[in-house]
Amino acid sequence: MILLLGLLLQPNSKHGDAGMWLRRQTELLRDEIEVLLAPVSEMADFHCLLEEPLMKAARGLSITTCGKPWPLLPLIVCESISGHYGHAIPAAATIQLLMAAGDVFDDIEDADSPESLSSKCGPAVATNVATTLIILAGRAIARLKVKGVEDNIIVRVMDTVNSLYTNACAGQHLDLSLSSDIAISEDVYLRTIEMKSASQIECACYIGALLANADQKLIDTFAMFGHNLGMAAQITNDIQGITRGSDIVKRKITLPVIYALAQTNGQAHNQLQNTFNRQFKFELDPAQIKALLFRIGAIHYATVKMEFYRQKALDLLSEIQYAGAGVKRLKLFLE
Amino acid sequence: MKSQALQELVKKIFGDEKTRIQFESNPESVLAQFNLTEQEKRAVLNTHAKLGLVTSDSQQLDVALDSPPWFTPTAK
Repeated sequence: MILLLGLLLQPNSKHGDAGMWLRRQTELLRDEIEVLLAPVSEMADFHCLLEEPLMKAARGLSITTCGKPWPLLPLIVCESISGHYGHAIPAAATIQLLMAAGDVFDDIEDADSPESLSSKCGPAVATNVATTLIILAGRAIARLKVKGVEDNIIVRVMDTVNSLYTNACAGQHLDLSLSSDIAISEDVYLRTIEMKSASQIECACYIGALLANADQKLIDTFAMFGHNLGMAAQITNDIQGITRGSDIVKRKITLPVIYALAQTNGQAHNQLQNTFNRQFKFELDPAQIKALLFRIGAIHYATVKMEFYRQKALDLLSEIQYAGAGVKRLKLFLE
Repeated sequence: MKSQALQELVKKIFGDEKTRIQFESNPESVLAQFNLTEQEKRAVLNTHAKLGLVTSDSQQLDVALDSPPWFTPTAK
């Protein structure tokens, strides 16, 4: 516990001043999280379990992280519009708590990580930890009042979080229901990641703009920026799932596989069907499947789609800049 | 929404040697044969400029996918 509390986040030199600024934001976020965890501080073991998923240095959208500090987005967006962000810190804590809860639930659902809370303490304890994190996220929204945020804005933040995280849960349900469906279409895949992943980043950007008192048009532009950023991030994760082999071993059907199944026939198609159809129990050779996906252009296609959403996010940043908001730090999310 | 034209383009480049050679020397001439949106064209051209054709694992691909960590956790 002491070690976890003592984690200090050092800025990466590549990000220079932005790194120092992000370190400050992260420290403020950590302080806010400690305030929220204070009611359970006397139960050292429970407190420690709650901290574990929260103290990751950088959060990703699902199992893999791509090193981006998503929970800081409300602060970065709020500051880019209004020049200050102190009152938005509970909103960042909300996103951090919800993403941490999502990670714990993902681990329970996947049941494939020996390092997960679920594996170490069992699914019942992990479920209770994730449920507590969600409840604390609600308390974090209420703490916006302490920071001087007006009631009507707090209600809008709460409504936005509930609405977009309901989408995320529905998307997760689709993902769980369809991840073994060999006939899943690209449209369904895109709809699933829109709901499951993009809605979470959209939410972080939306509430950041809301807390900056931006007009609705600018709030919507930031939300769309977050949406496209989230799409690009999830497709990146899915490509890495193939290049690292993890999604091949799990027989998880993501964009490269959907493309490959649609564009092949004959032996290559049969090989993919045998690999990704969970009803079959064929021996897997991940290296061979990975090579096949590269050879037929499936990784190239997914990379172009990732770039497509990245470009859309960059275009929206141009609109945001035109509206007078700063974009320098937001661009770092697209590097 | 999925793009049929984008799928067809990638299939053609990876399935037809002549198209692949043409794309590598003059990508725009190949793009002109497909009904792509402007954003799709930009995505294809940017990917090509950064990575060429993604046919195997490479350091460039890792860099494109793996953004550097913003923070390095260290114990106090």
